[in-house]
Amino acid sequence: MRFFIALMMSVTLMFAADATIEVVKEADSLPSIAVEDASVDFTGTPAKRFYNLLSSDLNVLTLFNVDHHYATTHFDNASVLNRAMDYTLRFRLRDDDAAFVADIRLFQEDKVVLQKSYRVANTAMSPFVSHAIAYDINEFFGQAPLDWLKRKIIFARVKGRMESEIVIADYTLSYQHVMIKGGLNVFPKWADEAHSAFYYTSLSGNKPTLFKIDVRTGARTAMLSSDGMLVCSDVSRDGRDLLLTMAPQGQPDIYQYDTVTKTAKRVTTYGGIDVNGQFMNDGRVVFISNRLGYPNVFAKRPGEAKIEQLVFYGKDNSACSAHNEYVVYKARETSDAFGTNTFNLHLISMKTDFIRRLTATGVNEFPRFSNDGDAIIYIKNYKQQSAIGVIRLAQNKNFLFPLASGKIQSLDW
Amino acid sequence: MKKVLVYSSVVLMLLAGCSSKTPAIDETQGADSSQMESAADADTVVVDENAGVSDSTIELGEETMSALERQMLSIYFAFDKFDISMEASTKLQTNAALMQNKAAAFNIKIEGNCDEWGSDEYNFALGLKRAKAAKDALVAEGVNAERISMVSYGESNPVCVEKTQECWAKNRRDDFKLLP
Repeated sequence: MRFFIALMMSVTLMFAADATIEVVKEADSLPSIAVEDASVDFTGTPAKRFYNLLSSDLNVLTLFNVDHHYATTHFDNASVLNRAMDYTLRFRLRDDDAAFVADIRLFQEDKVVLQKSYRVANTAMSPFVSHAIAYDINEFFGQAPLDWLKRKIIFARVKGRMESEIVIADYTLSYQHVMIKGGLNVFPKWADEAHSAFYYTSLSGNKPTLFKIDVRTGARTAMLSSDGMLVCSDVSRDGRDLLLTMAPQGQPDIYQYDTVTKTAKRVTTYGGIDVNGQFMNDGRVVFISNRLGYPNVFAKRPGEAKIEQLVFYGKDNSACSAHNEYVVYKARETSDAFGTNTFNLHLISMKTDFIRRLTATGVNEFPRFSNDGDAIIYIKNYKQQSAIGVIRLAQNKNFLFPLASGKIQSLDW
Repeated sequence: MKKVLVYSSVVLMLLAGCSSKTPAIDETQGADSSQMESAADADTVVVDENAGVSDSTIELGEETMSALERQMLSIYFAFDKFDISMEASTKLQTNAALMQNKAAAFNIKIEGNCDEWGSDEYNFALGLKRAKAAKDALVAEGVNAERISMVSYGESNPVCVEKTQECWAKNRRDDFKLLP
């Protein structure tokens, strides 16, 4: 069965080599999996919460049809509760010297095929235990590593007028830790691949100021200020260069800032709006500009005058993110000053002419690729609720994780 | 197929499954258990932006400044636009007169704002263009450009939060503040 799943997924991924081509997969063809709770120390709500997290993680893997009937058992039971399932994942949560420990056994029918234990000192971080279990199960079935499952996201949450928080969370928002509170702080951006620091814009002073925060020590460094606006739009893979939107003369333009030499070079010089610069892997910078009279997606090489228009569809494409040859952008589908508007995400490739629409309803914005390009994370605002959305491109699956309160202003992954 | 399955199961049990080793959860990728715990502890760091701000910044001139600031008229913009309307132009002339007379001792901060449609950089830039349009008009009225700074708050500074056309229109605006 495992061999069969690996073969099936390989074939699926082979045909989905171009992410702009939509993949339609039959859900019924996936093997079934049930989750059993065998917790001893953690009973009631915490164990049920962990069950929900784990079921959700397994669902996101898109390797299984996940059975959502909550069931309890003893960890050492030789048989699984539901023999009709192809696989059963049994977990046991326990305390061990004040640490949070999860033991798991993966059964194929009645045979244990995987067994592991996970430990974390801080119980609040238990969602990452669930994500690590899902990561290992994905690996067990021979799939490409899903590093983004275990990575943290950072977002700005609007608390009220002129007030926001910067929060570090897991991708499901189950774990949340407020890093910056008080004042208006927006556009957080991870400073490196290891997530050891992040940048954000403070709008609490007289001038917008870009700060860098060391996550481990909380040390704060003022990077630079600009009249009008200042946003860190992207960070190069090695963490050295930043793409900033600044407006020293009141004209928003894109600048490339070298964090070592502390010098900024102007990338765009248009008198209108140029924002949202993103590094591409071929040396170009993708950005949003209104040089045609409406916001659209363009690209240019720093230091060269030539500008390329990348999107030829829609009249209001006001945000984008790039990964290798792919660009995901936000498009306004309606332009209604008096009612509701719909904003959808679309994906294009530099190698094809296809456009793939990724969302269908609501206000979908702030798309960001995962570091491996497997998935796109974004903000969905729909019927007064703000949620994190995750789109797995090759699997053509979309998952939503609602925020309990507040509205997400911006995020990074 | 059956042989492959049994073989896979046995090998995995031997290699990974039945080990007594307890792998640490890797929050930062590749960290060992001790790093994990220190990282988790470090996660409790909170920076309070309001910490260290004392109330002693209140000065004698503030009351006068606040009174003058309340006389500054906000101007409003059409949906997705940053051009100055006739009505806004008249208000800017009033503001310019105030800035050059009673408020001549203060610097001016123009705050550009947008409605709730979009939290991205483009929306912030739209707010900034609204502030810039007002600055250009004030400079044309004779206000010294050196006195004027600008900031865009995007959709973060609404005066009205209802989901109505009238409410959104109130948020597409420039506010004028005085600085010492």
